[in-house]
Amino acid sequence: MTTPIMTVSDLHKTYGKAGTKQYEALKGIDFSVQPGEFVGIMGASGSGKTTLLNMLATLDQPTSGEVTIHQQPITHLKGNQLADFRAKEIGFIFQDFNLLETMTAYENIALPLTLQKVPAKKIRPAVENVATQLGIQDFLTNYPNELSGGQKQRVAAARALINEPAMLFGDEPTGALDSKSARELLDLFTKINHDQNVSILLVTHDPFSASYCQRILFIKDGRIGQELRRGEMNRSDFYQQILDNLGTFEQ
Amino acid sequence: MLTKLALTGFKNRWRDYLVLFSGLIMSSAIFYMFEALATNHDFLKQNTGISMVGIIFQFGSVLLTIITLVYISYANSFLLSMRKRDYGLFMLVGARKSKIGQLIWLETLLVGVVATVIGIIFGTALTAGISRLLISSMDLTLHHLSAWYLPAAGITLLLYVGLFLLAGLFNLVTLTKTPALKLLHSNDQPNRPRLKPARQLLEIIVGLIAIAIGYWSMAHLDTLQLAGIGIALVTIVLGTYFLFNAIFVWLMVGLKRLPFAQRGLNSFTLSQLSFRIRNYTKMLSIVAMLFALALGAITVGMGFHAQTPKLAASSNAYDMGIVNATTAEKQQVTALKPTTNVTYHFKTDKKAVYYQATEFDQHPFTTINMQGKNQLNFKRKTNDAKQLSKSPASYQLSQLQASQSQNKANVFLSAKDYQKLAQPEHSLTVFATNDVTQHLPALKRLAKVQGQRDHGLVDNMLGGRYGNYVMINGMYSGLEFMGLFLGIAFLAMLASCLMFKILSGADADKHRYAMLDKIGTTHQQLRGAINKEIAVLFILPGIVGVIHVLFGLQMFKFLMVVSPYTGIWLPFVIFAGLYLLYYLLTVTIYRRIVLQ
Repeated sequence: MTTPIMTVSDLHKTYGKAGTKQYEALKGIDFSVQPGEFVGIMGASGSGKTTLLNMLATLDQPTSGEVTIHQQPITHLKGNQLADFRAKEIGFIFQDFNLLETMTAYENIALPLTLQKVPAKKIRPAVENVATQLGIQDFLTNYPNELSGGQKQRVAAARALINEPAMLFGDEPTGALDSKSARELLDLFTKINHDQNVSILLVTHDPFSASYCQRILFIKDGRIGQELRRGEMNRSDFYQQILDNLGTFEQ
Repeated sequence: MLTKLALTGFKNRWRDYLVLFSGLIMSSAIFYMFEALATNHDFLKQNTGISMVGIIFQFGSVLLTIITLVYISYANSFLLSMRKRDYGLFMLVGARKSKIGQLIWLETLLVGVVATVIGIIFGTALTAGISRLLISSMDLTLHHLSAWYLPAAGITLLLYVGLFLLAGLFNLVTLTKTPALKLLHSNDQPNRPRLKPARQLLEIIVGLIAIAIGYWSMAHLDTLQLAGIGIALVTIVLGTYFLFNAIFVWLMVGLKRLPFAQRGLNSFTLSQLSFRIRNYTKMLSIVAMLFALALGAITVGMGFHAQTPKLAASSNAYDMGIVNATTAEKQQVTALKPTTNVTYHFKTDKKAVYYQATEFDQHPFTTINMQGKNQLNFKRKTNDAKQLSKSPASYQLSQLQASQSQNKANVFLSAKDYQKLAQPEHSLTVFATNDVTQHLPALKRLAKVQGQRDHGLVDNMLGGRYGNYVMINGMYSGLEFMGLFLGIAFLAMLASCLMFKILSGADADKHRYAMLDKIGTTHQQLRGAINKEIAVLFILPGIVGVIHVLFGLQMFKFLMVVSPYTGIWLPFVIFAGLYLLYYLLTVTIYRRIVLQ
């Protein structure tokens, strides 16, 4: 067993101040992700999966518990440390792309590098390299509103990957895509995961997206209820298993 | 029910409405301030000897109206963008178009009227406050100035309500003609900055020619007269717009190609700027014009102010002459540490004033002799009795005797002849300090005592530098006041234009900064990006404005004795300071909205 790239231990999140009406969104979550693993988190609306992702990705702070990425505790990072951590160690892909519509695809992808003060000479080859991998090399001079949903999401993926992050987080990345684009994007994730050994954590409620993962954690009412491993199963069998599981899990 | 809904929308976005309201209030307040001077003919007539001033104000009114027009169209599109979603939602839940139309119309008009009325009240207060401040700090004398001036209020209300009626109509048509879904998702799309070399080159050439014509006509007001101001107004406004339009796009596209754009958030900042390029060029042209007007007005106002003591100094070598000064007065004079302080004795009859020549031989009297045409080009000359009796400048001695002997000849007698005269002997104490403006209160007291002794003698009849200062100050006060007052008004208008434009876009920028934060931008970097972006929007019109002023001052060559460029650094420095304050204020507010 190798050292996990990410560990989550006894994570709690309670909304509302003490004394007022409180709502406990996460009630103690424990799991870890191995380097190069492709993990999915599934759950119904309100199950706490987005809350969990926000904690893992340093967008929100847990009430108690600890998250480490690369052995570094991340829940109490602040200010510049936090910014540097986000810029170097993790990449995000959001449902609504979160591209800066004022900038071209090229500029969007290059942004994390320019933020890290990477010399200008090294930026262009890096952007072109990642763009070629993701098949968007022809759209680099376009603005986001000139691209299709699938293209936009690939630009977002390129931006997330350009820093070679330890973890890639996806929050319903296929949520706004048509089925063809969704399939292409997921194939791409698999390829990146396989070729570059990038660990991916995908939050989704879509069984089809989830079937691309190697392991799926089911969240219900703030706890991990169940875990599925794909193992040597092919994807369509795994898909069927997820569907069956969802049927029983949500009952 | 819908009215209630509309009010809820209002409550939710009070911060945006605050920006909208404060912008509109400022704009109408300043329009009122301007009109309070422009429509007050008594004020203009009494305080300036120059008939052209009234017409210059007319041109100013036209210019301000145009600026107001653009301003309100911006304010209105801001209002519209805030409400589009709400109204789209109302339509979605099945509200009738006529009902919604009514609401929009009502809301636009209500916002307009309320802002204008508050603006007029605010403008009255500002007029009162600023004029009091200026009058006391610049030692001005003004007549017929009233902060509350009904015609001005009437014109302001008429223009604003009229414009808002039009804006309401426009909103009504836009919103009711647009499908509900489009209203729900109407985010502004970026304008792709395009280089069209031929067109932009043409714009640059036309712009430069237009500005050149404008500059030329300002420098040749003596031949062109009033037409010159009209020509300059039109050509410079157009030229500025064309230049901004062409150069701004080029600048942004050009800068993006440099390695500089690849560092930190620079590419983001440049993109932000080029994103709303077309909106900004209009606003930046207006700001550049306002900048030039404000800086120009302040420079001219301060120029007149600086010229007053110089002119006073060119009229006489002495600050004041006191006839029959008492010991107490003499002590007061000594307390001023005068550079010259002499007491002559004289006797007088109906025809002449008789002095003792020996006194003048011992203490020669200094006169000011003109050299050539320019009033400020003079030489001092010391005269003994013989020289003074022949000098054409000997009237300067008579002036110092004030009412005693204004139109009498000065006769210098030997001691013997002087003794023979039976008339009672008087004394004349003349003195000069290093600077009249530094001793104004003390000089005023001395003048007052003399006035009491000699009924009907007022300050400006005391012929020395002090008396002349009071007289010239009275002549120029009106011009000084107008320059500074309008300068402040234009500066406030400029600030409110720029701030309004920048802050009204802040809401749309919020999610961009949130996104940058998510992908790991430090707060220093975000703050730096904001500082830079807004700095560019302040600096560009500033540069153009300064150039306009430097050429525009040519107009005042004919009105001012001193070159209008003398001591120009002072108003420039003061103005830069104020401008910097506005910049910092805008950055702070913008930051608060964007980095929550």
